[in-house]
Amino acid sequence: MFAETPFVRDKRRSETTAKWVFFAMAGSMILPLLLIVVFLFVKAAPSLRVDFLLDIPRRGMTEGGIWPAFVGTIYLVFISLAVSAPIGILAAVYLNEYARDNWLNRLINLAVINLAGVPSIVHALFGLGAFVYAARFGYSILSASLTLAIMTLPVIIASTREALASVPMSFREACWNVGATRWQTIRSVVLPNSISGILTGVILQVSRAAGETAPIMFTGAVFFKAVQKGDLFAYNLNEQCMALSMHLYTISTQVPGVRESVPFATAVVLLGSVLLVNAAAIALRAHMRARKKW
Amino acid sequence: MKHATTRQSGIRPGAPAMASLCLLLAGCGGGSGGSSSVCIQNKGSDTMVNVAQAWAEQYKRVAPGVDVEVSGGGSGVGIAALIRGTIDIANASRDMKPEEIEQAKKNTGKEPKKFIVGYDALAIYVHKDNPLAEISTEQLADIFAENGATIRWSQLGVTIPGGQDEIIRISRQSSSGTYEFFREHVLNKKDFKLGSRDMNGSKEVVELVASTPGAIGYSGMGYNEPGKVKMLRVAMRKGEPAIEPSVASTLSKKYPIARALEIYTLGEPAGEVKSYIDWIFTDAGQKIVEESGYVPLPAEARKK
Repeated sequence: MFAETPFVRDKRRSETTAKWVFFAMAGSMILPLLLIVVFLFVKAAPSLRVDFLLDIPRRGMTEGGIWPAFVGTIYLVFISLAVSAPIGILAAVYLNEYARDNWLNRLINLAVINLAGVPSIVHALFGLGAFVYAARFGYSILSASLTLAIMTLPVIIASTREALASVPMSFREACWNVGATRWQTIRSVVLPNSISGILTGVILQVSRAAGETAPIMFTGAVFFKAVQKGDLFAYNLNEQCMALSMHLYTISTQVPGVRESVPFATAVVLLGSVLLVNAAAIALRAHMRARKKW
Repeated sequence: MKHATTRQSGIRPGAPAMASLCLLLAGCGGGSGGSSSVCIQNKGSDTMVNVAQAWAEQYKRVAPGVDVEVSGGGSGVGIAALIRGTIDIANASRDMKPEEIEQAKKNTGKEPKKFIVGYDALAIYVHKDNPLAEISTEQLADIFAENGATIRWSQLGVTIPGGQDEIIRISRQSSSGTYEFFREHVLNKKDFKLGSRDMNGSKEVVELVASTPGAIGYSGMGYNEPGKVKMLRVAMRKGEPAIEPSVASTLSKKYPIARALEIYTLGEPAGEVKSYIDWIFTDAGQKIVEESGYVPLPAEARKK
């Protein structure tokens, strides 16, 4: 064996140092998440019961549960994604599979990128003007969901394009060479091989749609609405609803005499449902990837 | 490339079922009658949002078929929505301005109708350790108004435990009816001094005062948190007796900065909106006003 020369030793040491510095940065990402979760749970513990989820707010929102807000968030998220996912996926397929590099497609691309950079409060104002007033949907779940849909659309387009681009070009070429059209290729080769990535991208938007407060506050979320306890069909599309993010804001800033644990328990429910959905996305991805052939 | 390639029969649409969106347009919008549930849209004053919420919560028991949707945002927000005709009832802790009434008439063709549903005493809050016990509205104007001379507690002859001498002014956002009322009735329509902390809710004012020894702020009497903050007695002018904010002093109009809690409808209310407002005027509705920390209507103004 060779004896280690000083030059090699120095190299090895700086390599080790560099590795640990990078690891420390990456590892420290766990810390905030862990702290947030632990802190929330400890603070929320006195209020965490099943009935907290199923009951409606009582006694001026200082007691009871959060059911109307929970159901409202489900409505908003589901409807907004039901609108934005098909549009976004189809748009991404066009941009990635059909679009040639010309001025019109460059313009579309630019629009998508810029739409993604619009702050949520601006989306809120747009939703208010476009859906509540111009389209005459009024303050409603419909207006709020459409506003959220527009907000999530560019990100769904971006993540779908990324998933489509990850399918190797050679797959498409092979398909074209046996005489298939573009649409046939997309249907039988591109989409099946990218569907896990596409779905993950869509599901990850759940957390974004569930967490936003500004867009729904302007267009269809209310401070309070009386619904039946545990009623899953509590709202119509043209009514307003409560939502978890907004409820968290209002009971923390507007309602006197709320027990300290209640806002934290609300936050636990919001974070918990989002993490659950994200976990489902991860599981789905793992399952689909296991079947991938390359 | 328009050659017909061999097509498999029955191409399924690639996108996930778009048909999942079936629009169930029943119930709320624009007061359509005949459906199983009716809903009343109610928006406005942050001061009143808690009492409005309590009404809505209790009214669900009185009339299970009626959903009342309550939102805050400020009196200005509620009045703006009423002018646009997008809500049924606006809550306001100030009167509608003449130009707002004009706009509403022009926009909707209906005259806004005002109902006084209770009263609120605007309390002046300071930190619990602040030795000050009373203040006059003139002194308040000197503290809060533009060009007002008072910027230190020592100018009022007060020493704050902990040595903080600068007065930290806690105010409200400009869409708030409380802000407007304070500007009109305490500052004599002068503008606020710059550099105040403008809170978005009545409760936030009290909370910030509770955690800031050198602070002074205004907010509804209903938001008092005994033991954390102190409500000052208020005198109209220096030398006049200072009055404690209370139900009695508000109803007798002795307390200088009290105001009416109002709701507005477009035109004469009808149907479920009328029933709801009538119910607010009953003892049951007024009990909620009192429980929320506000001043209920005297017995003769109520309905049976």
